[in-house]
Amino acid sequence: MAEERESMSPTKIGFSILWSACWTGMVVKSVFAVLLLTMGLVHFEGRFGLAVVMLLISPVTVFAIPIIMTVFGAHFGEGIGLGILFWLSIPVDIWALGLVGRTFFLERLRKEPPDGLGLAIWWRAAFVGAFFLPVLWGIVSFITDNAMTASHSMAEMESLRHITDTGLPVAERIGLELTIWGSISSAVLIALSLIGVSILGQIIRRISEECQPTSESYQGLITRWDLMRVPTDQGLLLTSLAGVGVIFSLMFWSILPVTTPHPHECCKKPDVQVEPVFKPVESLSSSAQRVATLAAQIEAMEQQKVATKGQKAKGKGKTEGGTTADSTAKTKP
Amino acid sequence: MDSKHSSPATIPDHQPSTIEKLVAFLDERVGLKEMQAKMLHEPIPGGSRWAYVFGSILLFIFAMQAVTGTLLMFYYVPTTDHAYDSTQYIIHDVDYGWFLLGYHFWGSSAMVVCVVAHMSQVFLWGAYKKPRELLWLVGLALFGIVITFGFTGYLLPWDQRAFWATTVGVEILDKTPVVGDFIARFLKGGPTPGQMTLSRFFVLHVMILPAALMALAGLHLFLFRVAAPAGPFSGTKEEIKAKTDYFFPRQIWKDMVGMAFVFVGICALALWEPVVLLDQAAPDPGEYHPEPEWYFLFYFQLLRLKIFAGEFGQFLGAVALPVVFMALLVALPFFDKDPERNIFKRPIALISWITIMVMIVLFTVASVINREFLD
Repeated sequence: MAEERESMSPTKIGFSILWSACWTGMVVKSVFAVLLLTMGLVHFEGRFGLAVVMLLISPVTVFAIPIIMTVFGAHFGEGIGLGILFWLSIPVDIWALGLVGRTFFLERLRKEPPDGLGLAIWWRAAFVGAFFLPVLWGIVSFITDNAMTASHSMAEMESLRHITDTGLPVAERIGLELTIWGSISSAVLIALSLIGVSILGQIIRRISEECQPTSESYQGLITRWDLMRVPTDQGLLLTSLAGVGVIFSLMFWSILPVTTPHPHECCKKPDVQVEPVFKPVESLSSSAQRVATLAAQIEAMEQQKVATKGQKAKGKGKTEGGTTADSTAKTKP
Repeated sequence: MDSKHSSPATIPDHQPSTIEKLVAFLDERVGLKEMQAKMLHEPIPGGSRWAYVFGSILLFIFAMQAVTGTLLMFYYVPTTDHAYDSTQYIIHDVDYGWFLLGYHFWGSSAMVVCVVAHMSQVFLWGAYKKPRELLWLVGLALFGIVITFGFTGYLLPWDQRAFWATTVGVEILDKTPVVGDFIARFLKGGPTPGQMTLSRFFVLHVMILPAALMALAGLHLFLFRVAAPAGPFSGTKEEIKAKTDYFFPRQIWKDMVGMAFVFVGICALALWEPVVLLDQAAPDPGEYHPEPEWYFLFYFQLLRLKIFAGEFGQFLGAVALPVVFMALLVALPFFDKDPERNIFKRPIALISWITIMVMIVLFTVASVINREFLD
């Protein structure tokens, strides 16, 4: 068992600490990220921009990302919130590396963790990352670009074009090209990542070599690192976490826009015209007045019509009456 | 009688508070403390682990989907005349409606991701083996329900994406021998998707599937408690015994952190990529290229391969392949009787899992590239 601890590879040491620290810190950092997103202070670009940035703002990438953005023109997003997220991630990562590092030293290496272990690992990881990651980015980008061009040329080769009458179908061609350049790119990325993790593992091993071995039993060590993670006072922990949750919820709902901050270009809302307030009694009385006015108007019109008819009939009667009398007189014996 | 009990000095000074009285009242009637002890004091061999959080996270996501879904139902109208407009109304006019819809939309994706993660964990840990065969089978049924949830919910906004994804999905189901025609006719309720389709999908989505999921999740939990947690697949007996712990508090804290992380993640996605509807559903796709939700893209791309063209090819890709895959998953605990659970000592299982995951990633990316090619 002791031999196994001594012979633990630097890659395994580096990966064990970085993987756990990344996830431990990410829970806290994601809360900050959501608040910054809600305030509209940060805009991530690209479909995987958020995931990439969240994963990259780790101990090894905190200084590497600005260098990559400057040197290679890579763009993950914009807004003042991105900078705030970078600065906030530093204390969170120091805490996460300290917690994970102390656990790892006690449980896996059986060594007494030194004071300030989190800071000691963090600045070394940030320093290595600032040099190593831009190099990794450059190499992987270069190889991926070339592999894509090469795979594209291969798919257009005459021998492949004659596999079927109409040439290589689109889906097969995309799959083939993706498999070729994806395999090459992934292999280079994995190999370089392992080298980077191994460098970090060697640094952590050097720190551990200066530490005293612990004499406690395995059960005692487990109890010690367990208490670092879950305090004995459960009530206090529950209350403080619930308090943080309540504060976060209040902040979130108070800054969340009520209506969508993403209006669709295709279907903009029409301008709303405010209608006057409906007052039933007034409406009824005004309607009754209007009906009465209209009724009076109709009555007046009818009277006018009758009067006009009467005048016409009188005029007609006079003419017709004279003729009749004359005719009667004419027909009398 | 014992003199100590009758002594005034032993009478407790503590007067129970209102909450304590309420707890005592409930405990007397429903056995609250016994229930609490049973739920929290479940021993976990080898102690708590982050790998065990997915089951609890799935329950949390389902609860949140139920809450957001109920709130959306206050405004959503499941008719072909109003489904699209009411969804637009939710996005543009209802207070926080855009966020609730976004949360519900991304919550469904999170549920699929967590189901796959949970199944992967169980598979890699060898936790489907004897005596947990029934647990595995009920889990597979729950997986089917989650997928059906996604499929039925996709139609409800009644835009072009919803209409054509459903049309393609129902056509795939139609190719199933014997029952395919009946299922397709039942789901569509007519020659083309219309009011009957929307009504049936709505009823399935808000009534039948939630009830089925709750019943099966209850059965899943019951079987889990009967079989007990499997524990880690590696480590000496001494290590496992030293680390063995109760469900409370460590695993509960891990579960809570996992739930908080998923909640925050879904909120971030709802803020970052809110739901945007396409044009209202119409029988003419126009310039829109029909495609399913992102977690089915790999399968959609697979079906584009030449090998799956033609009558037989379509049957092979749309029916035979998924049926054989599901049949293998169902039969897995019955033909893999080797008690070895360490994934690094089960090379076939490890290689199979890696192959499936690589294929899913590869074909999903290929589908995105294919979409760009079509556009």
